[in-house]
Amino acid sequence: MELVVSSLLKIAFLLTVILGLVPVLIWAERKGSAFIQDRTGPNRASVLGIRLGGLVHPIADVMKLLFKEDFRPENAHRFLYALAPFLVFFIALLTYAVIPFGDFIRIGGVEYQLVVADLNVGILYVLAIASLGTYGVVMGGWASNNKYAFLGAVRSTSQMISYEISMGLSIIGLMLIFSSLRLTDIVAGQGGAIWNWGFAMQPLGAILFIVAVFAETNRNPFDLPEGESELVSGYHLEYSSMKFALFFMAEYTNMVIGAALITTLFFGGWNIPWLTRSVIEGHAGTILPVHLVIQAVVMGLISLLFFRRAARERDKFGDARDREPGFMGVVTALMALGAAGSFALKPWAIGVDAASIYATLLQVGAFVGKVVFFCWVFIWVRWTLPRFRYDQLMGLGWKVMLPLALANVVLTAIWLAIV
Amino acid sequence: MTATKKAHPYGGKMTFWERTYLPEVFRGMGITIKHVIHNLLHTSEMPTVQYPEEHRSYSPRFRGRHRLMQRDDGSPRCVACMMCSTACPADCIHIVAGEHPDPAIEKFPETFDIDLLRCVYCGLCEEACPCDAIRMDTGIYEIAGTTREEFFVSKEFLLNNKSDGTEV
Amino acid sequence: MVKVTIDGRELEFPEGTSLFDACREARGEALPHFCYHPDLSVAGVCRLCQVEVEGMPKLTIACNTGVREGMVVHTRNERVKTAARQILEMHLINHPVDCPICDQAGECGLQDQYMNHGLYESEVDKDDKVHKAKAEVIGPHVILDKERCVLCSRCVRFCDEVTGTGEMGIFNRGDRAEIGIAPGKELANNYSLNTVDICPVGALTSRDFRFKKRVWLLKSTASICPGCATGCNVRVDHEAGRIFRLKPRYNKEVNGRWMCDIGRMTYRGVHSEKRLDGPMLRGDGDLAPVSWSDLHTFLAERQVGLWISSPAQTLEEQALLAALGEQARTSGGVSTAGRGDGDDLLLHGDRTPNRTGLEWTDLQQHDPASLVALVRETSGAVVVHGGDPAETAPGFLAAVGGRALIFLGTHANATSKAATVVVPMSVWAEKDGLFVNKDGRVQAVRRAVARPEQAVEDWRFLVDLWSAAGCADAPAGLPALRRWLAERVPALNDLDLNALPAGGLAPATAPAGAGGDE
Ligand code: SF4
Ligand code: SF4
Ligand code: SF4
Ligand code: SF4
Ligand code: FES
Repeated sequence: MELVVSSLLKIAFLLTVILGLVPVLIWAERKGSAFIQDRTGPNRASVLGIRLGGLVHPIADVMKLLFKEDFRPENAHRFLYALAPFLVFFIALLTYAVIPFGDFIRIGGVEYQLVVADLNVGILYVLAIASLGTYGVVMGGWASNNKYAFLGAVRSTSQMISYEISMGLSIIGLMLIFSSLRLTDIVAGQGGAIWNWGFAMQPLGAILFIVAVFAETNRNPFDLPEGESELVSGYHLEYSSMKFALFFMAEYTNMVIGAALITTLFFGGWNIPWLTRSVIEGHAGTILPVHLVIQAVVMGLISLLFFRRAARERDKFGDARDREPGFMGVVTALMALGAAGSFALKPWAIGVDAASIYATLLQVGAFVGKVVFFCWVFIWVRWTLPRFRYDQLMGLGWKVMLPLALANVVLTAIWLAIV
Repeated sequence: MTATKKAHPYGGKMTFWERTYLPEVFRGMGITIKHVIHNLLHTSEMPTVQYPEEHRSYSPRFRGRHRLMQRDDGSPRCVACMMCSTACPADCIHIVAGEHPDPAIEKFPETFDIDLLRCVYCGLCEEACPCDAIRMDTGIYEIAGTTREEFFVSKEFLLNNKSDGTEV
Repeated sequence: MVKVTIDGRELEFPEGTSLFDACREARGEALPHFCYHPDLSVAGVCRLCQVEVEGMPKLTIACNTGVREGMVVHTRNERVKTAARQILEMHLINHPVDCPICDQAGECGLQDQYMNHGLYESEVDKDDKVHKAKAEVIGPHVILDKERCVLCSRCVRFCDEVTGTGEMGIFNRGDRAEIGIAPGKELANNYSLNTVDICPVGALTSRDFRFKKRVWLLKSTASICPGCATGCNVRVDHEAGRIFRLKPRYNKEVNGRWMCDIGRMTYRGVHSEKRLDGPMLRGDGDLAPVSWSDLHTFLAERQVGLWISSPAQTLEEQALLAALGEQARTSGGVSTAGRGDGDDLLLHGDRTPNRTGLEWTDLQQHDPASLVALVRETSGAVVVHGGDPAETAPGFLAAVGGRALIFLGTHANATSKAATVVVPMSVWAEKDGLFVNKDGRVQAVRRAVARPEQAVEDWRFLVDLWSAAGCADAPAGLPALRRWLAERVPALNDLDLNALPAGGLAPATAPAGAGGDE
């Protein structure tokens, strides 16, 4: 019973974070691409004049997509056509089951592991499930009865096959080093100093893995399955309304998984370099006040920036939008005050139990922060690099990545044998 | 990391580092993040025109939506000579001429329609007009509608076209 | 023959040639002129045609000078050019230059002369010009603008010399001189629109054509006026499927440079509201639109007993109808149809263009009574191609009685209203064909505008009927049809009807006597 409840709570937490991240990522994608290209990006949709720098746009998008006509092309395969987006999205979510987002949390003396299913073959599970995603894509592309969608699906399959192999091979080195397939073990093994992290021990493996993940998630520069310049928009060409939204969300969910995998395998997972759990618990009385001070100062500075903007642009639009900077200033100021105000609770005299929870929170925060960073890398890369040509893509996958991954396995094995 | 500076912009063998793509990938990412940071810190310097609130300013010679000039009594100055519709490369001016009751005026346009959807705003019509009856100096370029018919503007519309550029 | 040197070229001309014509031949283009007109007497009033003749102290007008042996003439030197420019400037002193509203713009002699010989800066202020009456209605077809007149007197001479009616005249002197209509008269003769043609400027304009279309937008097709048996050669001016006017086309054997007003208005029938616009079949009581396939099924089931053509159809159509009717009886229609009053200029009493064609194709015409009798004699369906026997032959409908009446025609009339089947056909301006005029001259009408969507080309329809009736070698295509026609009609036996000259051919005198464009 307890297991069920705790698992459900963990699932709920993960779903909230991931689904909550999706609109943020969409926003970051739009805003980031805009800033990269010297544009302002979305800044129109507003609720009572509050636009949150365009963060309201995804909400408007969802409203729009909810009310759009759900169109199904003639001669499409009814069932598969409807199934595909759900499959893609569902599979995208499944992977999270084995990813540890924290160490454990101790409540009432009981320790709960912060992973939904701590499988002993965690990595294999990830690889297995991740490649299932292609089925949805293929189904969607085939069932649409559209040649462009179909070509997109075909590209997706061949790309998946090509990169799946290097992806699997690139983490074998890691398995050898940590002698485990269990993700919690791998993360725990990366504790302590930063050179314990996977990328420090397996630089080549890390690069190969990251590249393979980009390819697996169909993100630029490997987004040939959607190649809008030649395939209009690839496998989801015929989809509209919420079915399209599911594909769209699945793409971002996949991105989050990719980021989470990269974090977990090569960037220490929930570990904070040097600040191990025992260090945090032992020095919570110092770390927490410093943390709060930094937070109060940063938030205070941000709120000052907002207030300055509010004063400068008082009559810019002549409508509710003018109130926005002031509103944001108040919110951030409140956050700063909250951080400062919590000194009233004497954070320097934090108890042992609370210190343990604080340590867990910091670790989870570190994990989420790393994931968000890698999500940003996905976006960053997309708006920096051009798309590969298909032959280049295949050439890279088979002629460069595969041999390198094999070499990496052999070298790691030799190195381990020697040391 | 300056492998790309070697003299083989197109063709030739790529060096090892080029074949890994990585140096260039990082260089590119460096460039883009510079833009992001600069734009984050200097939002107000962004070149984007906040369109409905802000308008780009155009030269006074800008060719906007047409207007028909009026005589002192408000009737069209146009004498339906069809020079404009003859000159029009888009064939979008449709005039039906009529006999004016005043023999000193003699000819006037009974109808004068411009199909703004076909118009290419070349300005040949205003250049062809011997009577300075048609001008494109309204500065109006925000021409929107929900039906095709709305773009088929009549003599009455063109005679009352505002010229201050504020009308949308 | 006299020898004349014009612009350094020595040429020979018959005695009595006017120097104007001689210069036209030598230069390849006419001298600048307004008043000279080859079909009118010489007036010599515009002074534009001045040339330098060596030995003469002053420049002389070419139109009023005959060629003389040994004359040395200069038409392009500075003196002549200056004179032309100055005379033109004088003509334009009081000219309103309101070309934008002038219907003549685009075919205006003044505009042409200005572009060729003028191109000076005007020194007359617009407000100093003497203004005269504008837009004065002087007849059923013509509007006069006195301001624009250059007082060339062509219109006056036309009314005096060609029609002999003398309505026009020049009144007053000096810069108050103006063209006008004789008091109490109006320009109502049947040739009044020719004055509009010969007026070099926009002083006389056609009320019918005024403001309808700018002339430069018009396209022209050479054709024949269908208004009477004279068969005046015309130019059909049309644009975007609409005919705007007919203009005479020079043919010295037929109409010279003129045509009559009645003929000019024949184009109106082309766009008449009465045009039949779709095949119709009488169902229970009323004529109702029917599909072409149903119509052909209906026709295939009928046995035709009598084929009636009309003098308004082309020679090809008449011949085809005669061929179709070989198994049955045929008629050329009612002989009194289309008869009216003629005059001794151009208009003929027979207001149909091709009655001679009926004779040539052996389609005998009947007077009303004998046509009715003929209908009674025959049995089976009656086909009427053109004409309106129900109107012109009283008792025709009663004689047809319950038999099928198949009407192949263009306009709604008494016959079409009573018909069992109505097939919409093309009018003269929508098809190719031959008309034979009263003198036996074969002339071609050409397709100028598209026919109504549902209408058919007559000869094609008849050829189809003929093939459907079992003729294996019915001519396919117009050239084949004309070869077949030339074989069939004795008068045409050795003519190539596919290569008629512009002015048509009269078989008796062929190939000589062909007129043509000027
Ligand atoms: S601007 Fe050009 S295209 Fe438009 S109406 Fe005038 S002539 Fe025609
Ligand atoms: S050119 Fe000028 S006067 Fe002539 S029809 Fe056009 S607008 Fe009217
Ligand atoms: S007569 Fe000729 S020159 Fe005079 S207004 Fe008419 S077109 Fe112009
Ligand atoms: S009205 Fe025309 S034809 Fe007659 S005199 Fe004047 S210009 Fe000549
Ligand atoms: S043409 Fe000779 S004077 Fe007019």
